[in-house]
Amino acid sequence: MTKFESSQLRRTILRMAHAGATVHIGCAFSLVEILAVLYRNHLRLGAAGPDAPERDYLVLSKGHGVMAQYACLYELGWLKDDDLDHYFGDGTRLKGLSDAHVPGLEVSSGSLGHGLSVGVGLALAAKRTGSGQRCFAVVGDGEINEGAIWEALLFASHWQLSNLVLIVDANGFQAMGSTGEVMDLGSIAAKLSAFGLETREVDGHDEAALDAAFTELTHLPGSRPRALVAHTVKGQGVSFMARDNRWHYTRLDSNTYAAALAELRN
Amino acid sequence: MRKAFSRCLVEAAQADDRVLLLTGDHGYALFDEFRQACPGQYLNAGVAEQNMVGVAAGLAKAGFRPVVYGLSAFVPIRVLEQIKMDVCYEQLPVVFIGDGAGVVYSSLGSSHQCTEDVAALRAVPHLSLLSPADDLEMTACMRLALSAAGPVYLRMGKADLGRVHERPPAVQWGELCSVRPGAGRLAWIATGSMVPPALAAAKRWPGSAVWSAPTLKPLLSEGISAICRRHEVIVVLEEHSIYGGLGSAVAEIACTEAPCWVCRVGITDRFSQFCGSYEYLLREHQLDLESIASQVEDFLRRVSDSRRGLTPAA
Repeated sequence: MTKFESSQLRRTILRMAHAGATVHIGCAFSLVEILAVLYRNHLRLGAAGPDAPERDYLVLSKGHGVMAQYACLYELGWLKDDDLDHYFGDGTRLKGLSDAHVPGLEVSSGSLGHGLSVGVGLALAAKRTGSGQRCFAVVGDGEINEGAIWEALLFASHWQLSNLVLIVDANGFQAMGSTGEVMDLGSIAAKLSAFGLETREVDGHDEAALDAAFTELTHLPGSRPRALVAHTVKGQGVSFMARDNRWHYTRLDSNTYAAALAELRN
Repeated sequence: MRKAFSRCLVEAAQADDRVLLLTGDHGYALFDEFRQACPGQYLNAGVAEQNMVGVAAGLAKAGFRPVVYGLSAFVPIRVLEQIKMDVCYEQLPVVFIGDGAGVVYSSLGSSHQCTEDVAALRAVPHLSLLSPADDLEMTACMRLALSAAGPVYLRMGKADLGRVHERPPAVQWGELCSVRPGAGRLAWIATGSMVPPALAAAKRWPGSAVWSAPTLKPLLSEGISAICRRHEVIVVLEEHSIYGGLGSAVAEIACTEAPCWVCRVGITDRFSQFCGSYEYLLREHQLDLESIASQVEDFLRRVSDSRRGLTPAA
């Protein structure tokens, strides 16, 4: 089995979502290829497990997509079958939002707009010590409504954090509607460029394109922080979830679970 | 007191290059010495306090010892959620300095005054709170803060009120410092800028004991309850709301460990109405010497009436 295979990751997400009767499936599905490519080809995780001191940081600021990261941690063997099958069980440790107490998760980012600043601090620390560590920070396009995100970008540019790679999971939706309806962002890439980031755009479900973009961004010379706007589909991978924002909040029943799994087996 | 603060910070930074000072574009003149001695350890994070606290959390996770400076109206109040989730949830060793606490910025109005920080922060787990009264307590508090394993908030209020201790006090987490011994009817417990007025007002009741509370959290119940047992009335003074601050903390311990009368003197759930000098603002909030004494007299009268069954003490 190829590690971090996207259909397998989505099946893991569904398995957790069904076990825990959880929401936020669409938020996790848009993120799958981004995380798959990062874990497979780019993150240098080190040899000592989740807390290896020399690791690159994957900061999931968009905490609502945490099931996609759990699926990756399962592939790494850092989460076990028991963790998936008892998701949201009484007294279990995996929460519905990113939580730094879980080995492998760097930040507690259920409240949006927090994780990026912590990631900026991690990147700054790596710069100061010369450790060579990089920080890949994933935010959502809904999340960047938060003012703290733009504070963090100003800071990252000012302090020349070229080891920071910001990834925007631009799935076009937030909790209550499309980003255009709720808080129109215009061109995210233009805004990031204007804030001083070396910015690229990519189809966030095209793994070859993502891979090439991360390779380019992490090898670019210069002192500017880097950004990748990944255009994605909320609910990508299952026909009846794609672009249907009800899957921000809808829970699986046995019929939708079976139908979704059937699509991901093809 | 500000000189002691600066000196402690410079010494700590010179001894340990993991100590970093982050400021939200505040601290004019205060950091001249630091910037000269340790320029590489000074980071002005701009007028962007939320990001500053998140960055401090990231730095602390990676092994640095950030000291985050702001006016107390902004650090902690504007960034309470970042303090809670980014720093305290993970028990990271970040020191927060809230300068100008209380009504120090008397002429700038309520945006720059802060009488709710202790109440807001006491309820945040893992966070310890310090509130020094003079330069000697400041030096001791900075040592505690900079060697703590977890997050600390240091409240710096009116800083030029002179010494309350004759020699360096032994400041220990959770414990009060005796400023004037006494076995009379009243014990006074004050913190920060209110220790000097407590000393002055207490003279009107000879035999009063006066204590300073440089550590607001933890606050060990043994020390407080021993004082409650020795005296009939405890007067608590703070330049902070009477809701949720030191007065509340003392009352919480008293009512469960050693019931006694607790007279809470502080800001009575109101914003400043006018501007003026610091002394004027204290009068407006009834925290000048005369107002403090008359509040205590009123309280004692109500205690006596209550004892005689005339009216309930309010």
